[in-house]
Amino acid sequence: MGLFVLRRLGVMLLTAIALTFVVFYLTNLQPNLEKLARTEGSVRMTEEAVQDWIAQNGHSGSVFMRYGQWLGVVPGWTYTDEKGQMRGRCFEIGQDAAAAPNYCGLLQGNWGYSTFFKTPVMDSLGEKLAATGWLMLAVMLVMVPTSLLLGVLSGMREGSATDRTLSTFSIASTATPEYVSGVVLVALFATAATGLSPILAEYGLIEPKKTLFLASATSAMDDITFWNFALPVMTIALYGIGYIARMTRASMTEVMTQQYIRTARLKGVPFQTVVMRHALRNALIAPFTVIMLQFPWLLNGVVIVESLFNYKGFGWTLVQAASNNDIPLLLACSVVAVVVVLLTQLISDIGYVFLNPRIRLA
Amino acid sequence: MKDMIHEAGMHSAAKMYVAEYAEGKLSRREFLTRTTALGLSAVAAYGLIGLPAPAQAQEAKVGGKIRVAMEVKGTKDPRLADWPQIANVYRGWLEYLVQYNNDGSFEGRLLESWEANADATQYTLKIRQGVTWNNGEPFTADDVVRNFARWTDGNVEGNAMASRFPGLVDEATKTMREGAVVKVDDTTVQLNLTASDIAVVANLSDYPAAVVHASFQDGQDPASNAIGTGPYIPQEVAVGQKAILVRAPNHTWWGGTAPLDEIHYVDFGTDPAAMVALFSSDEVDANYESVGEFIDILDGMDLVKEELVTASTIVVRMNSSSDLYKDKAVRSAVQLAVDPKVVLELGYNNLGKTGENHHMFPIHPEYPELPAQTINPAGLMPALEAAGLKDTEFEVISLDDGWEAATTAAVQAQLKDAGMNIKHTVMPGSTFWNDWQKYPFSSTTWNHRPLAVQNMSLAYTSTGSWNETAMANAEFDALMTEALSIADADKRRELAAKMGTILQEEGYIINPFSRSLFNHHKDGFLGLAHHPAFEHHHYKWSMA
Repeated sequence: MGLFVLRRLGVMLLTAIALTFVVFYLTNLQPNLEKLARTEGSVRMTEEAVQDWIAQNGHSGSVFMRYGQWLGVVPGWTYTDEKGQMRGRCFEIGQDAAAAPNYCGLLQGNWGYSTFFKTPVMDSLGEKLAATGWLMLAVMLVMVPTSLLLGVLSGMREGSATDRTLSTFSIASTATPEYVSGVVLVALFATAATGLSPILAEYGLIEPKKTLFLASATSAMDDITFWNFALPVMTIALYGIGYIARMTRASMTEVMTQQYIRTARLKGVPFQTVVMRHALRNALIAPFTVIMLQFPWLLNGVVIVESLFNYKGFGWTLVQAASNNDIPLLLACSVVAVVVVLLTQLISDIGYVFLNPRIRLA
Repeated sequence: MKDMIHEAGMHSAAKMYVAEYAEGKLSRREFLTRTTALGLSAVAAYGLIGLPAPAQAQEAKVGGKIRVAMEVKGTKDPRLADWPQIANVYRGWLEYLVQYNNDGSFEGRLLESWEANADATQYTLKIRQGVTWNNGEPFTADDVVRNFARWTDGNVEGNAMASRFPGLVDEATKTMREGAVVKVDDTTVQLNLTASDIAVVANLSDYPAAVVHASFQDGQDPASNAIGTGPYIPQEVAVGQKAILVRAPNHTWWGGTAPLDEIHYVDFGTDPAAMVALFSSDEVDANYESVGEFIDILDGMDLVKEELVTASTIVVRMNSSSDLYKDKAVRSAVQLAVDPKVVLELGYNNLGKTGENHHMFPIHPEYPELPAQTINPAGLMPALEAAGLKDTEFEVISLDDGWEAATTAAVQAQLKDAGMNIKHTVMPGSTFWNDWQKYPFSSTTWNHRPLAVQNMSLAYTSTGSWNETAMANAEFDALMTEALSIADADKRRELAAKMGTILQEEGYIINPFSRSLFNHHKDGFLGLAHHPAFEHHHYKWSMA
């Protein structure tokens, strides 16, 4: 078991290095550097000024050496301008260059400086991950119980009216991508002119020109309320609910046809007890993997939802980092993504052992 | 000098408005908005139409905070600033020598007054007494000289101020010329220019010209070293999220007490539909700008609308470094195939005035009246045929959203109707601006500048730093050099007429309209009138 975990961590490290190099290489392509120069320097710089800017801000030279600087195995760049003022990777403008360390990369615990947010990457990313963490937690709290309940209910009597109704709902919700359901939900619940809000306002249930829910989750960054958080959470959860419910139903129907279930029924065990005691644990093995797979998928789902609802978390950060070619921030985002994907896989593999004793980790 | 720009800036257009008011074409309110936008005081404007002015508002109430929806971009070295939004944040603590007010006048801020000699080659700047930095040091003539050195430094990539003061620069070193900016005494600075320059004062008021302290390092983020003369300091600048300005502690601001305690900028993105939701859910008190059909929607929400007629405009321009547009006949035919009236209606909902394809508007003091161009869509195809471009597929590029896209689409549609094989390509802002000067055919928005020659010298002279057409017309260049030495707007108008004619004949630009600008805010706030350059003058803001 210990060896298994170690091996997985090794794979994680290798994957992270490979992925960050690919991201580093792509963000360091010449047109991307020119884009960076224009956003950082000035939009209206001339062609030569852009080239000078790239050279003077540590983006010239071999891509391997620059990647090495990020890792912290190659000394950070410095540049002295014509007035003798120095700037460099390892110190901020105005700080003493002589006192700064030579190496300042990942190995030294330095994740770099975000060119877009103008803060150290760790600070801004930590804060954004926390925001996304709250969103994911809320989504999981809504999604997991709801979907398991729906899946078990429809799976325990295959072909019944309950099964057909719930299946229709699950298929419909999982077939609707977030950018559709998000817009539909906003139109239904969060506009003063259309949907439910004007009707409710007419009956005097909510104040006139106010809405049932808020179409922007920006205020949830400071203070999460049902009002500002319901729509983004529902948008992400709806898709997952349908998906997990379908998986649970499939697993449940299969378990319900097993010999031991029939035996239990013939023995006269009440149906409720059969489902709760005998079927459920075996039926949950497949959904468990699916739920763990939802974590990495959520990271990608939040990109759309956070942009749609203006919630400033990991997904929104990724969009900003990519559109502004913020190299250190993109690299850190990829590391986070690798860790989340592989860590959830590791947890799901270990969890499997507990749910199914026939499986052993070598 | 000051009075010259001031008066010239208003009179021709103001007279026109008086006539329109007399004919009943303008309401009293509209008349007031427009004339005061041209630089008349409200009292003078009332006087023009023979009405007594209402009593002035009392002293502003001190206290309160405001939440303004605006993109929060990273603050950067002011001379590199490329968006008014950047400046609106550092405006809290950094001030300007001169301020351009939204009534078209120039007001001394850190300068008490200024004077120019007859041919505008020498300026004497008088520095305001009693101004201190928020670290307690006094503001002196040395600060002014040092800032001029920063502005004129052409070795800094992207220095937006470098090209503004050609008369102060040593061409060889691309830095400030010896003896160009002289400290006469502690309160007087003299500018000695090598050539006449009438735009010095206007340039000093532009948003990259914020005055920074001696401890400010080149390229530094001003928010990280917030020493300034202004009434506020940044409590927090979180890019893409929010910026909070609070009163500077232990600082006596020379202008007295700024009314509001706190100013919060909140970044909700740029989707105008979101703005409607934000106002209705009481998350913001004011917005940065209201656009398009959302103006009507916001009007219906018990908000106060601020309107300003400006010279902000859009130019759909061709670039002659592309083989497609190197032929003047082709450019002219394209230009004349587009009817500005239709573009204004389809692209901007008629919220502006039609333009005349020469980038000058009635609000400019030197605006010349040229004979109207004849719109002739039928002339397009013969011209393309003659140039062998009959079956070529053309492309016009624009931003992907809002009125820029709609305007460009309206231009494309008219060209298509005239028989041209042309498609419209849209790009997001993050990629569009990378190559904005190089596209063969694309649309660019241009902000309002007080004098017409300012835009024209930046955009259409062969050496202009924002020349996006590759136009290089020797006659135009010579006229511009001459125009830039004539301080009197009436005399400059003759040259402006010639330059306007050249621009029209060269056919590079389709300049369909100038925009009215709007913003909305909740009732209960005062002083948030729109500014032609989107400047936020925080000290004018207060709660009612």
